[in-house]
Amino acid sequence: MSVAIIDYGSGNLHSAAKAFERAARSLENPDKVIVTRDPDAVFRADRIVLPGVGAFADCRKGLDAVDGMIEAMTEAVRVKARPFFGICVGMQLMATHGKENVTTDGLNWIDGDVEKIAPRDESLKIPHMGWNTLDVIREHPVLERLPLGPKGRHAYFVHSYHLNAANEADVLARADYGGPVTAMVGKDTAIGTQFHPEKSQRFGLALIANFLKWKP
Amino acid sequence: MILFPAIDLKNGQCVRLEQGDMARATVFNLDPAAQAQSFAAQGFEYLHVVDLDGAFAGKPMNAQAVEAMLGVIKMPVQLGGGIRDLATVEAWLAKGITRVIIGTAAVRDPTFVKEAAKKYPGRVAVGLDARDGKVAVEGWAETSTVTALEIAQRFEDAGVAAIIFTDIARDGLLKGLNLDATIALADSISIPVIASGGLASIEDIKAMLLPRAKKLAGAIAGRALYDGRVDPAAALELIRSARAA
Repeated sequence: MSVAIIDYGSGNLHSAAKAFERAARSLENPDKVIVTRDPDAVFRADRIVLPGVGAFADCRKGLDAVDGMIEAMTEAVRVKARPFFGICVGMQLMATHGKENVTTDGLNWIDGDVEKIAPRDESLKIPHMGWNTLDVIREHPVLERLPLGPKGRHAYFVHSYHLNAANEADVLARADYGGPVTAMVGKDTAIGTQFHPEKSQRFGLALIANFLKWKP
Repeated sequence: MILFPAIDLKNGQCVRLEQGDMARATVFNLDPAAQAQSFAAQGFEYLHVVDLDGAFAGKPMNAQAVEAMLGVIKMPVQLGGGIRDLATVEAWLAKGITRVIIGTAAVRDPTFVKEAAKKYPGRVAVGLDARDGKVAVEGWAETSTVTALEIAQRFEDAGVAAIIFTDIARDGLLKGLNLDATIALADSISIPVIASGGLASIEDIKAMLLPRAKKLAGAIAGRALYDGRVDPAAALELIRSARAA
């Protein structure tokens, strides 16, 4: 089995690849992790990971710049039903639109827009940087056997925007940062995290391992 | 084989589309219940219904019309369009639908289909729409390079009652069923396959009754029944005598 991490010039590629390699090694049959900008390799992969840091519009532009990549990804995920993991802006790209400075089209896999977070408590800084617990909104195979909730594990966030999903059924987990923040979404064979599993230590690795074991 | 008369619902009316294009809809009957009754009176034994608005909206949109039909006919009904979660499956089965047809969700969310088929064996069918053998879902149909067979194989041994294989290029155009592709699919899987799209004349019915097509579970007839190209009595008589033989 192979996991393709899409290389489109976004920043957290190497830490993401390392985390996926490490999580894969913990499995009985380790997946082969490749970092690629070849749409054919993405189309053929058994699992697909889209990392992403920076501004929504820049990430969209970067993805558009790789000829055939969006088509390959879309078909692999939405027709071949391959499991997909979007990280941070990679997750935000699953939305209908991004509304960071300008309005940019997302992949429209998950109904909703990416909007600025607005903590009620003004002492809470934006960007939101740091460790938060997660409240599970919907049970999902990738969340199995993970100690979450108020006393559970923490996930590492760095962001100013989040995916405001139109359908509650698409939200898997939220964090609280002066109000609810979408931490994780899931629809069909695609999941995405606003937080960085590759920087979330043991919890992040366990989540990635669950994703690698998930057979939708 | 079973010949399924089709009722496609748009805005509560019976319509036929050409190549699945909502802009090319012809209204054939304002009263779906009356249309269903008329098919029942002609001797059909299983009705095929598609909630077209539902297929686009991703949730049931013509429930009233469907319920009106269920209220006036006794024959079993299979229904597709906008069925994307287990709650919707259960609601339709509870209302008297014999089997639900899952289309888009079968492609995007195979787990859902497997769960539904496991919970309701024999009552879940999968609708696969293809152009040149490649699967099409919603708007971006053109880009798919995935074959219908590849999707169909996911559901082997999952308890799926049937695969309804529609050739989009022929649907509503009366060019004849794409039997070669449908038989090729049926020969490659153990799930019964129903042919759909393009049924144009009694010749299609005769072709369905040839030995090479005997693995096909049935065919869906739409426009040809509405415009009189296929005479229901003659078609049903052919099928009955083939069964008796």
